[in-house]
Amino acid sequence: MFYTANTPEGTRDRLFAECAERRRVQAALTRLFERRGYAEIITPEVEFYDLFLMSGNPMPQESMLKIIDRSGKICVMRPDCTTPIARVAATKLRDMVFPQRLYYNQTIFRSSTANMGGSSEIAQCGVELIGASGLRADVEMVAMAVDALRSCGLEQFHIELGHVGFFRSLTEGLSMEAEQVERTRQLIESKNFAALNQLLEPYGEQPASRALRALSRLFGDAAVLDEAERLAGRNEALDYLRQVYGELACAGYQEHLRFDLGLVHQIDYYTGLVFRGYAEGYGAEVLSGGRYDRLVEAFGRPAQATGFAVDVDGVAACLPPAELPRPRLIVHYGEGFLAQALAAVDGRAPGTCQLSPCGSLEDTRLLAGRKGIAGVLVIDAEGEREVPV
Amino acid sequence: MRDRLRIALTKGRLQDQSVELFEAMGLDCSPIRKPGRRLIHSIPNYPLDAVLAKAPDVITYVAHGACDLGIVGKDTILEHGHPFYEVLDLGFGACRFALAVKEGFDFYSSYQTRRVASKYPAFTRAFFERKGMDVSIIKIEGSVELAPLLDLADGIVDIVETGATLKANGLVPIETVAPVSARLIVNTASMKLYKSQIIDFIEKCQRELERAR
Repeated sequence: MFYTANTPEGTRDRLFAECAERRRVQAALTRLFERRGYAEIITPEVEFYDLFLMSGNPMPQESMLKIIDRSGKICVMRPDCTTPIARVAATKLRDMVFPQRLYYNQTIFRSSTANMGGSSEIAQCGVELIGASGLRADVEMVAMAVDALRSCGLEQFHIELGHVGFFRSLTEGLSMEAEQVERTRQLIESKNFAALNQLLEPYGEQPASRALRALSRLFGDAAVLDEAERLAGRNEALDYLRQVYGELACAGYQEHLRFDLGLVHQIDYYTGLVFRGYAEGYGAEVLSGGRYDRLVEAFGRPAQATGFAVDVDGVAACLPPAELPRPRLIVHYGEGFLAQALAAVDGRAPGTCQLSPCGSLEDTRLLAGRKGIAGVLVIDAEGEREVPV
Repeated sequence: MRDRLRIALTKGRLQDQSVELFEAMGLDCSPIRKPGRRLIHSIPNYPLDAVLAKAPDVITYVAHGACDLGIVGKDTILEHGHPFYEVLDLGFGACRFALAVKEGFDFYSSYQTRRVASKYPAFTRAFFERKGMDVSIIKIEGSVELAPLLDLADGIVDIVETGATLKANGLVPIETVAPVSARLIVNTASMKLYKSQIIDFIEKCQRELERAR
C-alpha cells in the first residue's frame, strides 16, 4: 500500500506560493467579472454523464473521469463548465429575463494522458453571456477577454479572433462532401501547409479553393482580413470580423488583437465568432471561447450565448513567482494577555507576526531561532517589549 | 520576445537528413555535426538552437512548448497524437506503416480474434477500430518481426522501408496502413507568438524542398 502516500496521476498538492499564484489570478479575474455585472454560479463537481452527451459537445468519453452513483447511474467529474451552466440557463433561469451574465471560478477534471505531465485538475475562471446575440455581445466578450488577461498582469499576449462561418462558407461554395470537409478542417486545424494544398488541388483555382488552401497561413494582424478577401471575395464572416475589430480598435484594444481564420476547432459546437488567447511563457492557449448559439437549446430553451474560460494556472505560469510574507515577529504573552497579543498580531502586516504556542519565554526564543524569526515580542503585566532571540 | 527559436531533432537518421536540409538552406550546422558534450547546439548564422532527442521526446518537447519546432517521423505522430501544428512534409525518412504476416497466412479469414504485435499500439488499435475489427494488441519494444515467428502474434504493424527484413524472415506485407515520412511540427502558442520568425523558417524549408524536387 505504498502508493497511498502519493496522489493519483494528474493531481498534485499545491503549497504556499503556488496557492498564492493561483489565487492572485482568480482574484483579479473575479473582480473584473463582478465589476462588469457578472454574477457567480457554482455548479456541482459531479454531473450525469448523459448531460454531456446531450450537449453535442464533442468531448471523447475517455477524457471524462467517471463515477457510478448509488442508483447505478454514470456520473462524471465536471469536464467542462459551460455545459452545466447551459443546463441551468435552460431550466432554473427559464423565467428570468435574458440576457444573463454569469461567471464561474471552478475546477474542471479531465483524464490526462499517461506520463505527459498534464494535469487532470484544471482551474478555470470564465464568463457566459446567455441570451444575447450580435455585434455588441461579441465585442463585449472580446474586450473582456483582453481586460481579463491584462488585469492579471500579463503584458505580452494576443487574443486571436476567428469565425467558423468563414470556413463553412468556403466549403459550401465548393460543395464538398462531408468527409472531405472534415479532412480539410483537420489539415487547417493542424496548419498542415503542404497536405492541404494537395488535398484541394482537384478544386482548381476558384476563389473558395484558393482561400481554403491559404487558410492555414491566414493568421496574424488585421492585414489577414484583406488577404482573405482578396482570395475569397466579399464574405459575410470577414465583414463581421472587420466590424468587431473596428469597434474594438476604436476602444483602444487593437494592440492585443490578432486573427486566425484557421481557428476551426469544434466547428459543430461553435456557431460564430471564436477566439483564443496566447501569452508569452505558456506553450498552449491561456484563454479560449466563442459563440455557441445551439447549446442552451439542447436543454429545452433556445438562447444564443457566448463566453470564454481562462486557464488560471496557465496565466499564473506567465507571471513572476509570488512571494509570501516572511514572519518577522513572534508574540510571547503572559496569562490573561491574549487579547493584547491578538491585537499585536492583527495590527501588523498579514503573515509577518504570529503567536507563540510556548509556555516559557525560553522555549519561545528557541522556536524563533529555529524558524528564523528575528524578534520576540513579549506582552505581560510589565507591558509590551521586543527582546532579542 | 524570445530572439532565438528552439528546434528538437530526432536522433539518428532523421537528424542527419535534417542537417543536410539545413545546410542546403545555408545554415551552418557545424555545432550539430561536432556536438562534443553540449546538449544545445546554436546555429551561428541563423537564430536557431537545436537539441537532439528520441522521437517521442521530440513530440513531448514541442507539445509542451519547451521547443518551438521539431522534426519527427509521421509514425511517431500517429502513435502519440497531435497537440501541435504539423506544417510540412519534409519528404525524407520515407517509408510506410504496413500490416505484415507470415507468408501464406490468411489474416482476415478467421472469426478468431487476431493477435497483432507492434511498437505502435495506439496507432494499431485505431487502425483496427476503423475496420470494426477486434484484435488483441501486444506491445513489443525491439524487433517486432520476431513475434509471428515465435507464434506470439498472427501479424505485425510496423514501419517498412524496403521490406528486406520482412522477406528475410518469411513475412510479407499484406496491407499498407499509412505512408510515413519526416514532418516539421510547431508548438501552437509559439506559432502565434513568434509568427514572423517561424514562418520565415518554414518558408526557407519549403523553398529548399521545392528546389531539390
